[in-house]
Amino acid sequence: MKRKIFFLGLFMAFLLQVTAQTFTVTGTVLNASNSEPLVGATVKVKGVNKFTQTDAQGRFTLTEVATGSTLSISYAGMEVREVKASAGAMTIELGLAGSSTLSDLVVVGYGTQKVTKVSGAISTVKGADIEKLRPVRTEEALQGRAAGVNVIQSGSPGSKPTVLIRGIPSYSGTDPVVVIDGVPQTLTDLNSINASEIESINVLKDAAASSIFGVKGGNGVIVVTTRSGRKGQKAEFNINSNYGIQQVLNTVGVLNATEYAAMINEGSTVAGGPVIFPNLSSIGLGTNWQDQVFKRASLQTHNVSARGGSDQVTYFLSAGLLQQGGIVGGDDKSLFKRGNLTANFNIDLTSRLRFILNTSAVMLNGRGVQENSFNSILGSALNYDPTVTVANNVPNTVGQYGYSTRILSEIFNPLTKLDNTYNKNTGSKLYGKAELQYKLYKGLLFTSRFGYTKYDGNARSFTPLVFWGTNNVDNSMNPDGSTVAGRFNSVAHEKTSNFNYTWESFANYDFDWKENHHFETVFGFSLAKVSGNAAGATRQDVPFNSWEFADFTAATGVNNATNSNAVNGYYYQYFRRNLSKFLRANYDYQEKYLASLTIRRDGSYAFGTDNKNANFLSGSAGWLISKEKFFKASWVDQLKLRGSYGTVGNENVNPQYVGIVTGGPSYGPTANSNGYNFGDVFYPGATVGSAANTALRWEKQIQANVGFDALLSKRKILLTADWFSREVDGLLFTPSASLYLGTVPIPTANIGATKTSGYEITLGYNDKLGKNFLINTTATFTTATNLVTATNTDGTAKIFGGYYFNGQNQSVTVFEKGQTPGYFFGHQAIGIFQNAAEIASAPAQAGAVPGDIRFADVDGNGVIDAKDKTKIGDPFPDFTIGWNLNLSFKGIDLTAFTYASVGNDVYSAWERNGNYTNKYRGVLARWTGEGSTNDPRNPRYSFTDANSNIRVSSRYVEDGSFVKLKNIQLGYTLPSKMVKKVFSSLRVYAQARNLITLTKYSGFDPEIAGGILDTGVDRGAYPQARTFSIGLDIKL
Amino acid sequence: MRIQVLPIFIGVFLTTSLTSCKKWIDYDPKEDFQITERNYLSSESDYRTMTVSVYTPMQWLCRAPLIGDIATNDAASGGENASDVLALQQIDDFTHTPVNNILTELWQEAFEGINRANYMHQYKQTNPAGKSVDFAGKEALYGEVYFLRAYYYFHLVRFFGDVPLFVDKRLSLSESRTLQRSPKADVYAQIERDLTAAISVLPAVQVQKGRITKYAAQALLGKVYLYQNKFDNAAQTLESVIAANAFSLVSDYGSQFLSSGENGPESVFEIQHSNNSPYYNWGVPNRGQGNFAVQMVGVRGLNGNGAMPYASGWSFDLPTSSLANAFEAGDRRKNVAILNIEEYKNANPGFGITYQVAPFKNTGLYNQKYHPRKGETSGQVELNYKNNFRVIRYADVLLMAAEAFNRSTTPNDTKAQQYLNQVRARAFGDNLHNITATGAVLRQSIWDERRTEFAMEGERFFDLVRTGQAASKITGFQTGKHEVFPIPQLEIDISVLTQNSGY
Repeated sequence: MKRKIFFLGLFMAFLLQVTAQTFTVTGTVLNASNSEPLVGATVKVKGVNKFTQTDAQGRFTLTEVATGSTLSISYAGMEVREVKASAGAMTIELGLAGSSTLSDLVVVGYGTQKVTKVSGAISTVKGADIEKLRPVRTEEALQGRAAGVNVIQSGSPGSKPTVLIRGIPSYSGTDPVVVIDGVPQTLTDLNSINASEIESINVLKDAAASSIFGVKGGNGVIVVTTRSGRKGQKAEFNINSNYGIQQVLNTVGVLNATEYAAMINEGSTVAGGPVIFPNLSSIGLGTNWQDQVFKRASLQTHNVSARGGSDQVTYFLSAGLLQQGGIVGGDDKSLFKRGNLTANFNIDLTSRLRFILNTSAVMLNGRGVQENSFNSILGSALNYDPTVTVANNVPNTVGQYGYSTRILSEIFNPLTKLDNTYNKNTGSKLYGKAELQYKLYKGLLFTSRFGYTKYDGNARSFTPLVFWGTNNVDNSMNPDGSTVAGRFNSVAHEKTSNFNYTWESFANYDFDWKENHHFETVFGFSLAKVSGNAAGATRQDVPFNSWEFADFTAATGVNNATNSNAVNGYYYQYFRRNLSKFLRANYDYQEKYLASLTIRRDGSYAFGTDNKNANFLSGSAGWLISKEKFFKASWVDQLKLRGSYGTVGNENVNPQYVGIVTGGPSYGPTANSNGYNFGDVFYPGATVGSAANTALRWEKQIQANVGFDALLSKRKILLTADWFSREVDGLLFTPSASLYLGTVPIPTANIGATKTSGYEITLGYNDKLGKNFLINTTATFTTATNLVTATNTDGTAKIFGGYYFNGQNQSVTVFEKGQTPGYFFGHQAIGIFQNAAEIASAPAQAGAVPGDIRFADVDGNGVIDAKDKTKIGDPFPDFTIGWNLNLSFKGIDLTAFTYASVGNDVYSAWERNGNYTNKYRGVLARWTGEGSTNDPRNPRYSFTDANSNIRVSSRYVEDGSFVKLKNIQLGYTLPSKMVKKVFSSLRVYAQARNLITLTKYSGFDPEIAGGILDTGVDRGAYPQARTFSIGLDIKL
Repeated sequence: MRIQVLPIFIGVFLTTSLTSCKKWIDYDPKEDFQITERNYLSSESDYRTMTVSVYTPMQWLCRAPLIGDIATNDAASGGENASDVLALQQIDDFTHTPVNNILTELWQEAFEGINRANYMHQYKQTNPAGKSVDFAGKEALYGEVYFLRAYYYFHLVRFFGDVPLFVDKRLSLSESRTLQRSPKADVYAQIERDLTAAISVLPAVQVQKGRITKYAAQALLGKVYLYQNKFDNAAQTLESVIAANAFSLVSDYGSQFLSSGENGPESVFEIQHSNNSPYYNWGVPNRGQGNFAVQMVGVRGLNGNGAMPYASGWSFDLPTSSLANAFEAGDRRKNVAILNIEEYKNANPGFGITYQVAPFKNTGLYNQKYHPRKGETSGQVELNYKNNFRVIRYADVLLMAAEAFNRSTTPNDTKAQQYLNQVRARAFGDNLHNITATGAVLRQSIWDERRTEFAMEGERFFDLVRTGQAASKITGFQTGKHEVFPIPQLEIDISVLTQNSGY
């Protein structure tokens, strides 16, 4: 039927073209998913200033339309369709945005490109998908949706996840650069963008796509485009509201009080000590501290936006509020709150000159709890004595909560700790851009853009006087409520201020040569500065030991001869400067043969005069093989082959010089301290505090990419696959140097190399089954293998990380030659010594007795020593899969998103392992005598541990693979007949996030973020919450 | 309109890209308010300030005395459990390996001291900018620098034997991995050169307490001679300290270990610590102005009322009953060196003392000379104890001199007895315990006297090794191996140095 109309229309058009100049077009615009009319859709005649909007029945009429004109029909959240105007009643159906990729434009650096002409590797996530998820942070929306992007989330409200685009090139500074509406920002800044304002996110992954960003593009680029209005669009209002409750998914199995007491008795008696708990029968289950600290927390988002435009001005206005409480301690103690106000204007000052002003004001507010260590809130909840009662029942002692008489330091009653956690961070951010575009003549456009981010933070925290329990070494309050001599409460303030800006001017020139040769070129320069400063002050003696009076002005501390800490202050400042010039030319022949070349010259203040600038070059080519005449496969609608090669850089260092530090004790990483006391009078000193490496130069990455995009089976199936490789040359690395050089920090040098390669595949399917049933599903597959190929010539340079404390300071992750960056490094636990004879015949292992772990003699020298440490795990997944499913039937829609990570190991490091701290339940299966177990995870239990069963070993490595149902949402859009008098559309939905997690990991959550050297090390990390919410989407 | 805007664009384009470019990415550390080498050592004050920091690394070595005790039968490692500060536990059990973080830090920290001294030496004649800065007292100031370099090398040679030896300049990154270990004898020769140079320029008295004096340099040189069995030189050098009459034994032995007794008449050389500039860095807890070892040796969970003087600590470096029994009856030093906490608690019921029995290797005894005391720390309390470390007391000068005279080519046992008995008379409060023996018996008496006089002061291990008694007096000691500690594995890996035999 439709086809008939089409042909008829063509025929009519043909006739009309011959007979008349203009005609009247009428039609109806429908939602393809439910065939409901779309009210307020914009219908525009392309190339002329003529448009209209559909009425309450979705109908439109345009008079005096030139024959042969093309209509462009658009509607928020829907794909833009272009159809030839035809006589007679046209019926135009719009599908959801993202279901078709044919005519889409991708935002690349300094311009846009038609998606079919792209020959670099770019992943796109559409605003509609982001809106469905309602993420707190935008990165969440990339997880599993953008192939090649690995996002490892943290559960702490508003905290930054680990984002890796195409593997791990370096040991630090792996954050991709974020570009919001053309303005470079950082990953940290993604905490302040309101997800509902995002039109689309493009992830630029290979050198061809990202090298236009030069030095900043080395770790990939996340290009965020926010919404804007359209010309001639009647004001369109969107109101969204979502309210949810978060709760913890699961708790960790630790011992109950009776089990704990029995284990303590065993540990003590095996070590030759007394029985600690003589009567086990009276102890009971005790207190589960995890149940005490996990609270329900709220999650809500509310947004209102309006957009539209006149002939000269288009606008997008938005206001949003997001509030996420934390499940550790609830909203009172852990909270992330964000308010956004955005106004984006495009103003055509003249027909050639356009002014664009994007302004966002963000208020960030939060409070948090100590995280991710054995003595954090969660660490304390896991490790604290379960025999202690929740309430304090000791007469004549202050304090609401019970305390241990055995754990006297480091680990505290988590409720007391929570109660005494007071902090508040407030921040305001202003970001945006002012941009002028001048169209000199057709195809030549000049742009000058000033983008900025201004952030002011204000943090306050209060350390009260606390009575932790009798004899606790950290008591600052006596049992009777008086102050311990020499201890003080204190308040700390810090104000930070940053201003970053980028000024870029460039010219775009698009032209055709001999009709079929199409060129798109851009050249320009970019000047960037990052600057900031911070000042802080602390003061003791806060009145009434209370948060209410925790302020510098209210506190009364005054420095004196015995206490120079009563009032303190500090200040510091920093900056960075860059200057770059760039040039790019894209070429296509009939949209069939594609080529692109990018040249960028970057200058950084961080390098010495010889190496200030570096050139980066990249190129790509594509072939739309499906456009060739010989290409006959009818089931293939489009097939494009792509390849790219190029270099990008990294300047992640500070300038080097032989600096002289003066003053006193240093708190820096190597504590290269100064000064001395003569007769108890402090004399400041001076010493060499930094060293320079004059040969320092840019780190360069060589990237290659090969891939294809295919649309199959009447555009129902989309398949994209890429293979990539990245090699880092001259990796900025802190070399290992002779210890006899002393303690001056060793300067960074270009001594490393890494190699990463992998595959990524996206498979999409969308179809309409019957009249009303729509399916749209996408799966992504991402894999990368990473290898450090060089450090020092002799491979001795190592970067250690993943530090934790279990009675000793331990380091579990290493960045070194020949290994995956950040792999787990320790002893291989291979069994349990069953008897003395086994120990005698095994490689010499100092201190071992029967029941202790037997470690592998990796180097075969007959002694178990430090040289036997080896790879015991890898925190990064072998591959990840994301699967997004959208179904709709009439007004009902269902969205489900599942994410799987396979092969990532977790190092369980939350156990403090003190004599009287609580333990993981696994200890119940411990070795108790010959033949009881040979599982190296379960050695004997004793207070003394001469064998060091607690050393870094495979004992603590677990498979952290997981499948998470990250998001499931069921919505219902009310029939337009019911609501049309008030709303143009009304949708209600229920949503559950993190509903199901399937994993073998014994801890809270196998997803543990923290940069290259801390990812996968679980020190009691903040788990992600399960959220149930309901919401409302209204369009007016 | 077009005509107006276009020139602006093009103008902006050209001017910025052509003119401001180069300047924009230039950098001068002054923009960050950083002082660099080029700006420094330009005045007398700079030279004096920088010399102060040559002293600093001595404070970082505060855990070395713990090893000097724990590596003998005089003290047990203690701590919370068998893996609490594994570095010390292994040394106690003589199972230590080249992987030992405290030994690694002691190595690196002493070399930082040497590099700081070398930097001063490097720019003695002209500063980094090529100018010479002369001032009155410059030579005497350099006497301190050379003493300190000698002290750091002496620390290294006592612990590790042969070590890399360099004196010309502070090493830079390009000198990494270029050195080999020099024979112990060469290191000692350098120490002697530095001390001799220092003695010739240092004043006998310094106004500031804790500044190196001529006598400190002579006493250290005497010790260095003794370690090389150069008894004639030792006797002569030490005799000049005694003859100067600048020091005396304090009558109340215990008083010199109190805060009030610091830098007293018996103090020849003390490493100064203070709680005046509170420090907080758990990554490297020993590198503030405080004495971290003090925190380590305290009784755990110690509590009592305001009158009780002690503060709590972590129960490391616990004196053994063997040491307690080494004191003769009537020796007043026993109750100064050793705190028997249960006895003390019972003797002072008014203090209301509670404490936690040492959880590992408990002996019931604690190092009282350096025990944490209330009111002697600040800020992060564990890291800021002000207790000075007494490196050389006059008693040491006397006993070293006694030993040197006894072991000289032409022994002078009368003098040896005289010096020994000075120390004993103070210890017992009478002359009834004087030693009258001569020869080898006298020598053994002097050695035994060192054990009790310097109990828990970190001297014992080095004395036993020096005098060849280690194998017979230390459980687990292997001759030919344990005289020195292993070169840190990290340094071996990086710098490709040889290892001490047996490790």
